[in-house]
Amino acid sequence: MEISAIKSELIKILGKDKVLTDDLDLMYYSYDSSFLTKLHPKAPYAVVMPRSTGEVQKVTRFAYENNIKIVPRGAGTGETGGCIALEGGIVFDLSSWNDIDEIDAANMQVIVRPGVIHAELNKELNKKNLFFPPDPGSSLMCTIGGMVANNASGLRAVKYGCTEQYILGLEIVLPNGEIIKTGGQKTKCIKNVSGLNLNKLMVGSEGVLGIITQIRLRCWPKPKARGIAMAVFDDLDQAPAAVLDVYQSGILPSGIEILDSSAISAVNQYKPEINLPRAEAILLFEVDGNPPSVDYEGSLIKEIAGKRAVSVEWATDPQRMNELWEGRSVTATAAARVRADGTRVFAGEDIAVPLDKVADTLRQIRALAAKYDILVVNYGHIGDGNVHTAPVINPEVPEEVEKVQQLVHEIHLLAIELQGSTTGEHGVGAVRRQYAELEHGPAVKYMQGVKSVFDDKGLMNPGKLF
Amino acid sequence: MLNFKELPAVKKQLMKCVRCGKCRSVCPVFEEIKNETVAPRGHVFMVQMLRDGQVAPSRQVGEHLSNCLLCETCTVNCPSGIDIHELNAAARSYVYDKNKNAAKDLLFDKFWTNPSLIAAGVKCMSFAQKLGLQTLFRNIGLTKLLPGDLSKAEKILTSAPSRSARSRLAPVNAAKKDKKLRIGYFLGCATNVLYPDVALATVKVLVNNGCEVIIPENLKCYGLPHIANGKIGAARELMIHNIKEFQKYDPDYIITDCASCSSALESKNLEFLFAGSPYEESARQLSEKVMDLCVLLIEVLNIKIPEGSRASEKEPSPKITYHDPCHLVNAQGVSKAPRELLQRIPGAEYREMDLAQRCCGGSGTFSLTHYDLSMKILDRKMKSAQKTGADIIATNCPSCIMQLKHGVRLHNLSAQVKHPVEIISDFY
Ligand SMILES: Cc1cc2nc3c(=O)[nH]c(=O)nc-3n(C[C@H](O)[C@H](O)[C@H](O)COP(=O)(O)OP(=O)(O)OC[C@H]3O[C@@H](n4cnc5c(N)ncnc54)[C@H](O)[C@@H]3O)c2cc1C
Ligand code: SF4
Ligand code: SF4
Repeated sequence: MEISAIKSELIKILGKDKVLTDDLDLMYYSYDSSFLTKLHPKAPYAVVMPRSTGEVQKVTRFAYENNIKIVPRGAGTGETGGCIALEGGIVFDLSSWNDIDEIDAANMQVIVRPGVIHAELNKELNKKNLFFPPDPGSSLMCTIGGMVANNASGLRAVKYGCTEQYILGLEIVLPNGEIIKTGGQKTKCIKNVSGLNLNKLMVGSEGVLGIITQIRLRCWPKPKARGIAMAVFDDLDQAPAAVLDVYQSGILPSGIEILDSSAISAVNQYKPEINLPRAEAILLFEVDGNPPSVDYEGSLIKEIAGKRAVSVEWATDPQRMNELWEGRSVTATAAARVRADGTRVFAGEDIAVPLDKVADTLRQIRALAAKYDILVVNYGHIGDGNVHTAPVINPEVPEEVEKVQQLVHEIHLLAIELQGSTTGEHGVGAVRRQYAELEHGPAVKYMQGVKSVFDDKGLMNPGKLF
Repeated sequence: MLNFKELPAVKKQLMKCVRCGKCRSVCPVFEEIKNETVAPRGHVFMVQMLRDGQVAPSRQVGEHLSNCLLCETCTVNCPSGIDIHELNAAARSYVYDKNKNAAKDLLFDKFWTNPSLIAAGVKCMSFAQKLGLQTLFRNIGLTKLLPGDLSKAEKILTSAPSRSARSRLAPVNAAKKDKKLRIGYFLGCATNVLYPDVALATVKVLVNNGCEVIIPENLKCYGLPHIANGKIGAARELMIHNIKEFQKYDPDYIITDCASCSSALESKNLEFLFAGSPYEESARQLSEKVMDLCVLLIEVLNIKIPEGSRASEKEPSPKITYHDPCHLVNAQGVSKAPRELLQRIPGAEYREMDLAQRCCGGSGTFSLTHYDLSMKILDRKMKSAQKTGADIIATNCPSCIMQLKHGVRLHNLSAQVKHPVEIISDFY
């Protein structure tokens, strides 16, 4: 089908207000947060903005009948090119479909549409003393649909895990237009082992199996108290060791984050009022729970981390805690501040390694960065071995682009060599699919087989995952 | 004249965008339209496409870029430190330069500035919007030339009082009691013409607090219309004239009661205008003295509002809420002083509204060219204001005052919209 015909058909199906067809408008859908699409933006044939399952179904059927590729998109904060129509096709922008259908506090669950923003959801849940614990750095902008598709997690994964642990059920429109519900057709229970676990299959499927149109999420009671210990190190190696010490003491903090010296400087440049101390590394330990246990764990962490750290600050003042936590949350972007003529690029940024290899990993990343003469900012969820490396380069200098690509390739290989993974939470998308065979071997064939069951024509978000 | 592609922001900042999308979460326009074509990061992307020649500087691109209030909310929230609104304004100006033929565009020539003056121009542009629309609407019948929304939008404009502030105020106003400071009052055009009572109140409150207030008679516009028309030389001349005028009196501070004026007079803009010129130093000295009225009243004068001497007793204990003008809170980081001032009003009850810092959607001509969108943004503001149950919505920017007054009419509210100094002047 001609692209112009696709456009006019889509307008017939959804009406003009829910379809973008103009070439200029479409250009805005040629990027997400990935370095890949910064270098090679790719616009779709058309963008649709459906607001009901029926509308998604109509467009999906039309695409299926006419062999047109389709790509779901949330807020476009993914770092892998996952929501980009790299092979052409129709993009479904689901970010404006942001209804919270029901907060069922008695049953500790919430039912939402895919475009609800993570932070907005928690704002609403908070009114009922509930929360959805996974806490990505992109909380203010990413959608729940995108989080489910990427199995996102974040600063609190140490204790609360990833999105997958909270999925009770999903409504999905399959590429052929069929609608299925995973996790039970009608159930509202929170414990359920009936049937093959399609919830788990769909979470983290990065939009290659179907379009998620409704999500039933498990919520947790909001802890009454919270505190943050900031441990300051003059030797980078001591920080991962302190994390292991804290675990050994029997404490499970709700978050353990690391910032290296460049990350510290980036945060201070973005918000001078946060005023982090200059150091080789900082660890932020967040503990939550009821007030006496938070105090107890806080003082224990202070004592244990204090053995390796030069100082430990224990903060329970809400303003200070928010500053510290926000400072860490924005590091991903604020990293761009450390070089006046540079920016951070999202490439090779998300490896995960076993806990006892974190120190080694950080050391080797620094060596690689020195080898390629590239400034890197290291930060991340050290509590679960998820290290974010932010290379800061001038993307308008071709040699730097070339060098950074070699650097990130080596970082990915390093992760695999150290018994880690190329991605702890951001996903594979288009940028890490080259490592699928190396990471998963023959299992990849079965992954492809699963995909073909759902997507017999290979129309659903092609060019991603494997 | 600097070429668009050579502008410092365009050269240095474009590549800094990580496309993280944080700016999506704060943009009032995005909040309403919710698609990437109006996201701040989308504007940054489009500016890059323009710079790299991937898109032509067509009017259509200009229209896309104009879906922006230049409210600077994205800029203050961008972790990468990108002046997003400046990039947008620079690109609009570039596009406009290449598409000067249409009648409608010709009118907007008044508002769009020359690329080489973007840093100054962004502030000036919004100000020109305010100034320009008044003059243009009344003098050259803009409404007849512009389509659609504009006939509705005309209602936003209130007719200007017949006597300007300048005609009602003496150039030198002696301090009552002991003189503490000599204040140069940069009486902005919009306050002068549209809200002269604000100017009168400003002078009254200052003289009662030990200030001699000088409104230099020969003070001219700070060159805005000239900048807007590309006559940068003339704009500099005017500013030099103003600098000399103020130098004659050597004031301790130069104050304005208009958020746009003070933001246009701040150091960054003046530096831009005078960098490398013999007047650089005098301009720097001038900008160092510029201060928002509320900041002066609180941080310098630390005023105590006299109790019990209230001139009008119409509302015995008013409930007051405050709306932050973008040009004050985002462009200058001023948010505490106006609140503090309002909280010092004897007998008044201050009530903070939700999202007080969110743009009201006015932004000069934006409410005219994008009336329906502007009204949606205004609706949210009016709801927040209404929820407080306030009798007075205070704000300190003529454009916001105009927009909020329109909101009060649209929503049939009983609240009044006032500049903080107007409320305070009742006590003197
Ligand atoms: C500054 C910053 C910080 C970040 N921090 C974290 C972090 O701490 N932890 C973390 O896990 N991630 C993080 N991320 C990555 C990203 O925000 C998450 O992966 C997020 O879940 C993506 O959501 P989105 O709405 O932007 O999805 P998009 O980027 O739009 O899409 C992501 C993928 O999901 C698919 N998809 C989206 N919606 C649907 C749907 N309804 N149905 C089916 N498929 C769909 C897309 O096709 C694509 O493959 C961060 C990103 C940034 C920019
Ligand atoms: S917040 Fe700044 S860096 Fe992030 S997308 Fe917006 S402009 Fe780009
Ligand atoms: S200046 Fe205001 S309206 Fe314009 S993009 Fe930024 S936040 Fe949106």
